[in-house]
Amino acid sequence: MATEILVPQLGNEVTEAEVTEWVASAGDDVAAGEVVVVISTTKAALEIEAPCDGKLAEIRIGEGELTEVGAVLGVIE
Amino acid sequence: MPKNLQINPEQTYSTDMVRFTDIPVHAYEGDIAAERARWGDAVLCEALRHMLVIREFESMLHAFKSTGAYRGIDYVYKGPAHLSVGQEAAAVGSAMALGPQDQIFGSHRSHGEIIAKGLAAAAAIDPDSLQSIMEVHGDGQLLDLVTTHVGDAGGAVAEAFLLTGVLAEIFMRDAGFNRGMGGSMHAFFTPFGAYPNNAIVGGSSGIAVGAALRAHLSGSGAVCVANLGDGSTGCGLIWESMNFAAMGQFRQLWQPPFNQNPPVLFCFTNNFYAMGGQTRGETMSWDRLSRIGAGISPAQLHAETVDGSNPLAVADAVSRKAELLRSGQGPALLDIECYRYSGHSTTDTNAYRSRDEMKAWQAHDPIARYRHRLVEAGIIGETAADDMVAAVQSQIEAVTRAVVDRQNAPAVDIAANPTIIGEMTFNGEEIGTGDRADDLLADPADIGAMKSIARKARFGVDEDGSTLSPMRAITLRDALSEAILHHLVHDQSLIAYGEECRDWGGAFGVHRGFADIIPYHRLFNAPISEAAIVSTAVGYALAGGRALIELMYADFIGRAGDEIFNQLAKWQAMSAGELRLPVVLRASVGSKYGAQHSQDWTSLVTHVPGLRVVYPATPNDAKGLMATALSGNDPTMVFESQRLYDRVEIFEADGVPPDYFRIPFGEAAPRRAGDDVTILTIGPSLYPALDAAGELSAHGIEADIIDARTLVPFDYDTVLASVARTGRLMIVSEAVERSSFANTIAANVTRLAFGDLKAAPIVLGAPNWIAPGADMEDTYAPQPHDICDAVFGSFFAEKRVNRRGLRDWDIAGMAKRGI
Repeated sequence: MATEILVPQLGNEVTEAEVTEWVASAGDDVAAGEVVVVISTTKAALEIEAPCDGKLAEIRIGEGELTEVGAVLGVIE
Repeated sequence: MPKNLQINPEQTYSTDMVRFTDIPVHAYEGDIAAERARWGDAVLCEALRHMLVIREFESMLHAFKSTGAYRGIDYVYKGPAHLSVGQEAAAVGSAMALGPQDQIFGSHRSHGEIIAKGLAAAAAIDPDSLQSIMEVHGDGQLLDLVTTHVGDAGGAVAEAFLLTGVLAEIFMRDAGFNRGMGGSMHAFFTPFGAYPNNAIVGGSSGIAVGAALRAHLSGSGAVCVANLGDGSTGCGLIWESMNFAAMGQFRQLWQPPFNQNPPVLFCFTNNFYAMGGQTRGETMSWDRLSRIGAGISPAQLHAETVDGSNPLAVADAVSRKAELLRSGQGPALLDIECYRYSGHSTTDTNAYRSRDEMKAWQAHDPIARYRHRLVEAGIIGETAADDMVAAVQSQIEAVTRAVVDRQNAPAVDIAANPTIIGEMTFNGEEIGTGDRADDLLADPADIGAMKSIARKARFGVDEDGSTLSPMRAITLRDALSEAILHHLVHDQSLIAYGEECRDWGGAFGVHRGFADIIPYHRLFNAPISEAAIVSTAVGYALAGGRALIELMYADFIGRAGDEIFNQLAKWQAMSAGELRLPVVLRASVGSKYGAQHSQDWTSLVTHVPGLRVVYPATPNDAKGLMATALSGNDPTMVFESQRLYDRVEIFEADGVPPDYFRIPFGEAAPRRAGDDVTILTIGPSLYPALDAAGELSAHGIEADIIDARTLVPFDYDTVLASVARTGRLMIVSEAVERSSFANTIAANVTRLAFGDLKAAPIVLGAPNWIAPGADMEDTYAPQPHDICDAVFGSFFAEKRVNRRGLRDWDIAGMAKRGI
């Protein structure tokens, strides 16, 4: 089963975020709660945790790319 | 906050006791043979002489204040005289234990302390250096006065120099140590290790901590002593300062060799009275002052109570504490008990203490007791001691005669140069930025936050004219970050601190990523101690460092009021330019959080002379003005609007330059050209003014918009040139209108350009009441429609359109109701 890693709601005024760093690489095994990717807004950086155990099957938004709240950053299988 | 210091719940909730150790009270045993072996007889005799010098010096001041004469010299002295008769052993004992490089910071009652420190330093500094110090100071004016008019009767030249410099300062003469700009309560002379005395009770506490931090980081080896009174233990700043000096992070988070607390001694000369309030038993809770050390740190600040009537007991205690401090185990606290025979000031009638009490303490006169001890031990004979008293009297008389004479020792010539005092406010110096510091933790280019900024567009407007989002173009926040980081990376004397300054990246993200680049000892989280944040920065800077500090909200200026208004703003001028205070104080002006978090207090700060005041509104200005602030040697307050942190650059077509640059202070920026009305904006009001200009233009009115950028210094020329064309001036700011700096500008423009004006200038600010919550905020900060209403209503009545704002007030009627 595939689980998406999403850009969370970051406050009611924030719509965009940037992927600062992928801590995990595609193909890595990851555990629920482990930080897999760091994103940042204009004001702060935020660590995003893996929502479940599994393999990071796909990175959809690469480092340095801008994205929006609710977008899929990557997929865990 | 730091992730490497974890708060363990099991440990937190385990049963335990908080333990204290005993605090010694008068433990000194006083073996005179051991003291002779330690100091030598000559030093022990000098201690007596130094106490006599202080007593005679202050007796002279008392005589002038009470009778207008001293030893046949008539003089009316109008200034203050807070004398320390009875406290001489504390000053002299402490000076015996300190070296010339050690620094003392005093109070309003510190004549004795600077004389004792100066006499000890003059004896310890080699003759060539001493001569050079005296020749260099004030271009030799003081030394000339000493050699020409004091002469041999003043004793050794260095002593006469010291006493003349102090007395001329007290008598407000040009030859005084600070050209008379400090006077009795602020006299000091840093080459002898006597740093500023402070007329604000407790004011020296944080300054000494900051100077100690500078000594620690620069490796000078100096110990810093905050000489405070017992009354200061009732002041918030001393508690903030003691905690600041004892913070756990110094030992737990700072990297070697900086992992030690700053070497500061809180030295309380406890004379039992805070003016007339009796500290022990009446106004304070501590019973023994030394008890307060136990409340601050596990080491209890190494607190002790010491007999302040015995110079050798004091010297012993200060020596032991200085040794602890030099080995990094500070801070420390001494409670030095001694009795002030003199009144608080010369108008004191002793209404608060009994004759019996005063009489009982006469038996503990430090000078009589110490002289008796020396005579008893055969260290000095009665005749020699009498001769010593006579010689000291002659010395003070000779110095006094020279200083009293206004021909020989005039005050600064204000008649010839009416702005001479004003010229001492700022030095106008700018430093260059050097090579990259060698203490960086990483290359900034490798840090995520910096990479994010590097990827952004430098100009905030797209080719199709649309404004870019703050994720896509450099913001005002990013621009501040670039300027600050450049200075932190290239100026190793610069430290930055404030609440949430490190791991969090600053409450508003300006320091984001810095924690990965700048080591702990140059970027750290401060406690929520706004007074200590500013006070320590003052001390750090006047001791030779540079500081960037942050008050999270401008509303917290109140918490640091004395430190901003009486310390940061004053010491350059009170030292006649001797001291430099390169301190940049950032303060953000909030929004959405209501009355205590949304105030533009620029006018409070412009009202107190001594601070440069900057309020950038664009990313380009934020970067260039911050760079100028950080490269200057004058204290500067930079206001930042929280509403503008995400603003992108829309004015400079080339965008915010990626390289370092500075924008000079005192140059207003024209932002829109027009010939019908000048709209001068302060801070974020620029943007509603631009919006208003669009609407005004639709009615055939072209606004000439000028962004003030800096309030101190202020650029009248640009405004006057615009008013000469338009004949109409509106000033828009978010400060409340009553006593706003905008009114000062309006008044001055009216005076300077009355003939050009077609109507009286209008000041549009916030109304004279609290900032309401987020949903009501647009009724408070001037909006575009408020600006249009005022321009139509006051300047172009013939084009009057329906008012859209609420501001149609009866100003005089409201004033009568106090609003």
